Amino acid sequence: MRRGRHSRDGGPAAAGASALPFGPLAWTSACLGLVWLPLARDLPPWVSAAVGAAIGARLVLATRGGDAPPAAIRWPLALLAIALLFVEFRTFNGLAAGTALLGLTAGLKILEARSARDLYVVVLIVYFLGVAALLAGGGFWMLGYLLAVCWLTAAALLRIDGSVRGLGARTALAYSARVLLHALPLALAMWLFFPRLAAPLWRIGGEGRGAVSGLGDTLSPGDLDDLALSDDIAFRAHFIGPTPSRGALYWRGPVLDEFDGRAWRRHDRGFSRTVPGRSAYHYRLELEPYRHDWIYALDRPVSAALPGAVLSGDGVLVRPGRDSAPATLLASSTTAPAGASPLDRRVRRLDTRLPAGSNPRSRALARLLHREYPADVQFIAAILARFHRDPYYYTLTPPPLLGRNPVDEFLFDTKRGFCGHYASAFAVLARAAGIPARVVTGYFGGTFNPFDGDWVVRQSDAHAWDEVWIAGRGWLRVDPTAAIAPQRVDPSLRDGSRTPGPFAVAIGRDAPWLAAFALRLDALRTLWRERILAYGPRAQGALLTRLHVPGPDAAGLAAMLAAALGLSFVWLAWIARRQLRTRSRDELQRAFGKLTAKVARAGVVRFPYEGPEDYARRVAALCPDLGPTVEKLCREYASLRYGAPTADDRVRAFGAAVRAFRPRGSRASAGIRRRPSAPRSTRD
Amino acid sequence: MSAWRHAAAARLRAWAARRHGRDALPAVVDRRRIYILPTGRGLALAALVGAMTIAGLNYASNLGLAFAFLIASTGLVGMHRCHRNLLGLGIDALPETDAFAGDRPRFHFTLTNPSGLDRHDLEIRCGTGAANCDVPAGTVRSLELPLAAAPRGVLRFGHFELRTRFPFGWFRAWTYVQAPLTAYVAPRPAGARRAQDDTGATGAPAPARDDATGDADFAGLRPYAPGVPLKHMAWKALAHGGEPAVRHYAGAKGQALWIDWNALEGLPTEARLAQLCRWILESGRAGRRFGLRLPDRRLEPATGPAQRRRALRALAAFGTGDA
Repeated sequence: MRRGRHSRDGGPAAAGASALPFGPLAWTSACLGLVWLPLARDLPPWVSAAVGAAIGARLVLATRGGDAPPAAIRWPLALLAIALLFVEFRTFNGLAAGTALLGLTAGLKILEARSARDLYVVVLIVYFLGVAALLAGGGFWMLGYLLAVCWLTAAALLRIDGSVRGLGARTALAYSARVLLHALPLALAMWLFFPRLAAPLWRIGGEGRGAVSGLGDTLSPGDLDDLALSDDIAFRAHFIGPTPSRGALYWRGPVLDEFDGRAWRRHDRGFSRTVPGRSAYHYRLELEPYRHDWIYALDRPVSAALPGAVLSGDGVLVRPGRDSAPATLLASSTTAPAGASPLDRRVRRLDTRLPAGSNPRSRALARLLHREYPADVQFIAAILARFHRDPYYYTLTPPPLLGRNPVDEFLFDTKRGFCGHYASAFAVLARAAGIPARVVTGYFGGTFNPFDGDWVVRQSDAHAWDEVWIAGRGWLRVDPTAAIAPQRVDPSLRDGSRTPGPFAVAIGRDAPWLAAFALRLDALRTLWRERILAYGPRAQGALLTRLHVPGPDAAGLAAMLAAALGLSFVWLAWIARRQLRTRSRDELQRAFGKLTAKVARAGVVRFPYEGPEDYARRVAALCPDLGPTVEKLCREYASLRYGAPTADDRVRAFGAAVRAFRPRGSRASAGIRRRPSAPRSTRD
Repeated sequence: MSAWRHAAAARLRAWAARRHGRDALPAVVDRRRIYILPTGRGLALAALVGAMTIAGLNYASNLGLAFAFLIASTGLVGMHRCHRNLLGLGIDALPETDAFAGDRPRFHFTLTNPSGLDRHDLEIRCGTGAANCDVPAGTVRSLELPLAAAPRGVLRFGHFELRTRFPFGWFRAWTYVQAPLTAYVAPRPAGARRAQDDTGATGAPAPARDDATGDADFAGLRPYAPGVPLKHMAWKALAHGGEPAVRHYAGAKGQALWIDWNALEGLPTEARLAQLCRWILESGRAGRRFGLRLPDRRLEPATGPAQRRRALRALAAFGTGDA
């Protein structure tokens, strides 16, 4: 932390000032506060509190006319902040830790601010924080955030600097709004034509900002509760051609085979060697970023237009070794069963394994049922019937299962749970009966948006179901959650699908127009994503082609950038020219100037030393037809100018008379003519 | 760094002087004579925007890029506005000013803004001094530029500078006005000796005669001209309905006081000058005719503020080789 000193640039006037006044400090603090808004959510609250406290302390000091606290206070504070940061993050690398560090630095910088220069440093940090907030993308309201930050900082800079500080708050805001307005076209052109990178230069390893929501690769009933309530979008799908029925929209994610009595885990299955059947559905997927190698595809994916994507042994689309989801891909799937190739013995063993001694009551139940219904299909139907008939409830807030045998607890004691509980319990029962079974997690359904034809799948659509192996038919999907009697679904969830988001439930029931609005908003969001956030080299090339810019891309882009820069400066100069034109504040003077300009076009130019009377006499001599009018106007001007003060409306009447004066068709005699061939203007 | 900067500034100034020649005041700031460069803050911002752009490109963050480009364009618009803040201003200055040693000499400037554009944060620099002001659209502002307190002597400046960092402080635009400014710093009055008059008799400058009552030297009325002492006004004539008039006294040539360097043998130079200065001021206050004799210079006896100024400037310039 450098100690603030008076800047050399501050000039003699600044050197004389002792303490930084309240105004500039408050404006800079407001900028920091604004830029902090979207960042605070992802950072520990104490960081925001510390920044707020530092700003508050400095502002209180400033209102009392005080200066920054002495170094003996500031240094320990800075060290304390850094130590706390390290304890919190264990690193200063990475976006979250870096953002927190920058924020604290800005707060402390305000605390120690002694000169305009310190505040300039804070503004630079504010810009940096803005980029940190925007790097991850975001909704279209981020555009408003971006503009607001630029606007407020520009106004703050006007207030910080300026030895005169003649600009009031409103003037500063209006002025910076105009600057921003003038900057927008150039910024837009730069954004459109600045060459984009096809591949990043470097990556920050592993860490994203905070937790990216999405399904994990384990399932232990109790895990899904957070997820099911989140209304964030997981992905969108747009079907090209036929669309499956809503009840068939099972978006398969990771398949979980390994069970330890409590949690289900993923087991590496290698890659599929079988060729899947003919694809029935083609669709475009747009995935929100998450950190796993699988891709949520409809039921049984057949192909995907994505480099590095393969089908795993359990029929999931994966990209080995990649952990960031692609933005968009085209894929095709089928919903028909896979057909009956015999099950590999190793797989059969894996998919019937249960940890010894776990969940004994469930196993006993399975054995009992299996004796009653020896056929696998009948056995499965019996379990589903039990879920339907017995008092099993569907709820997003089930009682916790803390015992050693959670499946037993759920099946016989609590009987309350959501998809994860039912899928897990079903798979345990099936395995106990010797039927190969596995848990599949993913999403079910989605919301169809009629405005853009997208299916929007949210985190609240997360679901878990089972797949069982039936000899001669292959892996079949069983959704035990669907078996629960509708009257035992938690009433707050009853309206939507089995696992609806709370938002969908609320708007679906109460206000259809609100639902329509939400859908439109979502269509807008898609547009934002596709056109703005995903604008890249290819879209840029398409734009150049549409603009008929010849030549290779880079040269074309450079030419467009240069043209934009040139045009924008011409535009600025044109604006300035109009404003820089000498313009008398005096209405009377203006009107008289207009009169002489009109007469000059007719051929008689007023000499600078010529008074109105002399001028009128000369005009009358040279242009007899103009004479009477000009003499009358000049007399009126002289009387208004040099006579006793009069009412404004007489001046206004004079202005109107000058405007009405048209020296048409008149020409001065040859010798005096200044611009004989000047085109006559009828403009004014 | 600083020395390098000063050298660069001096070269630029010399180049500008060759390019534009001397300026006649009042001068108008035209496009050709405005120079503009980014300030340190501007360069820091440029570096930051560069970093932001690279980060935005690397992470394919279109929003981050939009932010960086918006700031960059704001900077460019700011550059244009900085330049525009000086364009078309009229500038005038009083070329000479007077002060006493130890006081701050003050130059007087007038800035004229005939355009429809408010001008903010204009700064005039001359030597060590600087002064700031705003000039709203269609107005004229005068401002006073105090130099640092100076010792006796003559301060001559070949040019002064009009500059601005408005609006955001990222750029500085400036122009050089190649017009001479001179500050005469007279010695601070001091000393307790008495001046000699023409007859050779030493005496304090005679106390001011009450010209309004004593009419021995009354030589008639003259038309009023601004600047004459009020007590010389012919109030009676005015009261009788005549034109404003001034009583004129036949200057008592024989009574002119000679303020003489040689009368102060034995004193050091500055003390002598200080004493001479005191006498000049006292004579001026008394409205008395006086002449000044310096080793290198001689001022014929006269009266009035012009004589007083001439005398003080002669003292300021004494021994500096500056006429």
